[in-house]
Amino acid sequence: MIELMIDSKTPFIDESLLTQTLNQMLCIEADDADLYAESGFSESLSMEEGRVKHVSASSHCGIGARVVIGEMSGHACTDRFDPASLKQMAQAAKSVAKAGKALPTIHLSRPNRSQPLYSQIDPTLSVNMATRKALLERIDQLTRAIDPRVKQVFANVSASFEDIYIVRMDGNVLHDARPLVRFNISVVVEQNGRRENGSAGGGGRYSLDELLNGSLPEYFAREAVRMALLNLEAIATPAGIMPVVLGPGWPGILLHEAIGHGLEGDFNRKGTSVFSGRIGERIAAKGVTVIDDGTIPNRRGSLNIDDEGTPTQRTTLIEDGILTGYLMDRQNARLMGMPSTGNGRRESYADPILPRMTNTFMLAGEHSPEEAIRSLKHGIYAVNFGGGQVDITSGKFVFTTSEAYLVEDGQIKTPVKGATLMGNGPDVLKKVSMIGNDLKLDPGVGTCGKDGQSVPVGVGLPTLRIDELTIGGTQL
Amino acid sequence: MSASLEKITATLTQLAMQKGAVDADAITVSNISESISIRHGNTESLERSDSQGTGLRLFIRKTNGVAFASASTSDFSAEGLQRLVDQVWEMAQISEPDPDAVLPSGAAHPSDEEIAIWKKEHPEHDEPWQTTQARDAAIACEAAALHASDLISNSEGASAAFGISQIAYANAEGFHAEYQKTSVSLSCSVIAGSGDEMQRDYSYRRAHAAEDLPSAKMIGEEAAMRTVRRLHAQSMTGGNMPVVFEPRVATSILGHLISAINGRAILQKRSFLSDALNLPIFPDFITIEDHPNHPDGLGNRLFDGEGTRCKPLTIIDHGVLQAFLTDRYAAGRLNSTPTGHASRGLTGDTSIGTSNVILHPGEYSPEEIYQDIGNGLLVTELIGFGVNGVTGDYSRGAAGFLIENGALTKPVHEITIAGNLHEMFAGITHIGRDLTWFGSMATPTIAFANLAVAGDDK
Repeated sequence: MIELMIDSKTPFIDESLLTQTLNQMLCIEADDADLYAESGFSESLSMEEGRVKHVSASSHCGIGARVVIGEMSGHACTDRFDPASLKQMAQAAKSVAKAGKALPTIHLSRPNRSQPLYSQIDPTLSVNMATRKALLERIDQLTRAIDPRVKQVFANVSASFEDIYIVRMDGNVLHDARPLVRFNISVVVEQNGRRENGSAGGGGRYSLDELLNGSLPEYFAREAVRMALLNLEAIATPAGIMPVVLGPGWPGILLHEAIGHGLEGDFNRKGTSVFSGRIGERIAAKGVTVIDDGTIPNRRGSLNIDDEGTPTQRTTLIEDGILTGYLMDRQNARLMGMPSTGNGRRESYADPILPRMTNTFMLAGEHSPEEAIRSLKHGIYAVNFGGGQVDITSGKFVFTTSEAYLVEDGQIKTPVKGATLMGNGPDVLKKVSMIGNDLKLDPGVGTCGKDGQSVPVGVGLPTLRIDELTIGGTQL
Repeated sequence: MSASLEKITATLTQLAMQKGAVDADAITVSNISESISIRHGNTESLERSDSQGTGLRLFIRKTNGVAFASASTSDFSAEGLQRLVDQVWEMAQISEPDPDAVLPSGAAHPSDEEIAIWKKEHPEHDEPWQTTQARDAAIACEAAALHASDLISNSEGASAAFGISQIAYANAEGFHAEYQKTSVSLSCSVIAGSGDEMQRDYSYRRAHAAEDLPSAKMIGEEAAMRTVRRLHAQSMTGGNMPVVFEPRVATSILGHLISAINGRAILQKRSFLSDALNLPIFPDFITIEDHPNHPDGLGNRLFDGEGTRCKPLTIIDHGVLQAFLTDRYAAGRLNSTPTGHASRGLTGDTSIGTSNVILHPGEYSPEEIYQDIGNGLLVTELIGFGVNGVTGDYSRGAAGFLIENGALTKPVHEITIAGNLHEMFAGITHIGRDLTWFGSMATPTIAFANLAVAGDDK
């Protein structure tokens, strides 16, 4: 275990103010209380119509206070760090307490920390703005040269860095620094008056140098063009129930929507999820093991500690088809008599903590991807997806293809237009009949929305055959 | 407080000009909001948030044109503002000049008289709601939902929220103004049934002030009614059929139209309506307008993100597309007059955003529409993001009710509906008279002639 030199940098908020604010909000009834101070910035460079037109940056700084009593919680936040604003925030957070009797004064302390999962350095330092701009120009030219049907190219490089301090009720101060970088490209192609688009991208918790100074941007550019050209040939998608083979990687969004959200602790504590009270039950076919793992180095969905200061972990949600666990934050875990799994997350200091996924994926099986495709007599092979959504109470979920093919007699035929695939969370994994040996994680593109809060996440999947999904095509 | 927002914004543009900018404008926003959630009669959470921010757009002259950059800060001290100016200045050096760039100066700002009239029509509130009254409303709302039916088995709770925003704009030519917006909301979500047979639905309303909200009881009972009627939903046999959207889901259709006539998307040919200006894209009984000063709308605004005065605009007149929505940049390149639709965050380029979008109501009650259609599907919920703005291809998950022999019968779910927006727009057969507001959008029931419905064919 290595202790990080977390104090080499001057914290953006004065420690005595944190101590004072914590003591102003502590009360004898509190089951939990914390402060979350955040200082972050983001930079973005966009290329469109052959020019770098938009350079933008934003920085923010703020603090959120929370007091938890049983099922109740009080939250307040401010972006002003003066003693009066902080005191007002502390009192607003504490207003859930009836008596509000103070505790003896707590002094801050810093526990030792282990090796971080990602760099603790500002990701923008490695590549200056001029170099980023030159890269976008090169990619723009390269993309247009791939095919004369490319009419529009949009590319974006963005990077953010967040410095957070969590002060817990016991006075422990936890720190994390979170880099996040992303490259994205989308193109519009045109042929005989028909226009289509394609996009690709990726990133993670590392430096811009690692993202930009290799072959990745060019790879994403070629992918975007390939997908757009493929869409020019796409025919109407069949409508109805069909077997589907999902490709490896990003199609793991299936897991995120179909079961991941339904296993979040808040819904299960309240009994509002279709998975409530089902631990130990079979909810998937034998061989299906699903993991949520916040500890994979450098991944977009990974965190050293969650936003309550709990170290992230590898949680088995489904083991060989049996439901084994939920995703927990501290409040829901306490109310359900379980430990937190390090999944308490918030978009920013201004938002409340919710149990959320990190990187959610299925372990590999034994089938080759070719075997799975060959097994389809008449079905869909879906390789890439846009977004998805779920109703956690009824269990119904959807996700939308962006690259998919019709398969006839085990042969991949023509590409089909983007269509929504729909299923029922508690059933869909029971209909898994082949699990590929090719587990892949997504390229680092996922953003999950819940209660209006967006957080970066990852997904992963081996090639997977599902015997029945509803295909929202137009061809009846 | 309010005087200082306008002043901070103006100061920022002056500092930018002193630094050497050729032009600059800035926007400053402050928000105070509170929300109270109740579940099973007890307080579940109290949230209070207080935030502010200012964003600067700074333009510089380069040998081959004008370039700009933008950035924001929440630090309003003199040093904080100067730091922001220095940062944006550095960033602008990297930006590529755009021969089509439009400087902020010269926009058609609201006149002093128009500002005075606006302030008179929209008097400032200190508090659109009181915490204790909001909490009582949420308690009453949830209780009404829980008591409305024995079939209600659980609650996701009720929530009451309110907030005040102050928005100020200034540019280097000396124009500066600000206005206030308030909003309150009350929502409730409950569950009926158990295990695999659970259904959830919700009801919510937003308004400028608490006195404009319907009663908590009405909102709670509506949430219960919506939830209970979904119980025992099943999939259905697919096919091509007429599909009716109730107002709540019909707002999404207005959203798809707005995205497709976004002037920036038109410039980039990222819209299936790129070539549709002045063409009939809806039947002639459809009129849609954007109204920036409507008593029922929460999207009212005095000026847009570039300080341009906002005026009512008929987007669709008897079926014909009248205008693309533009900021000054898009208008310049499309050779049209800016329509006052610049939407602006604290940083980043301006984008396109509407104020209040209203689809004018028709003559039918929803029941008359079902009777006319005979057999089809009423959609009450849509999920997923299967809409392709470039092609208009449309495919989403849905839930709702079968329409059989002119009346609603069984609840259905786990189905998809698909088509193409171009054909859907042109194929609207009925517009209801049940105009319903959802914040900054208002629409009645809409019926489409034909969509592909996929369900369980077994």
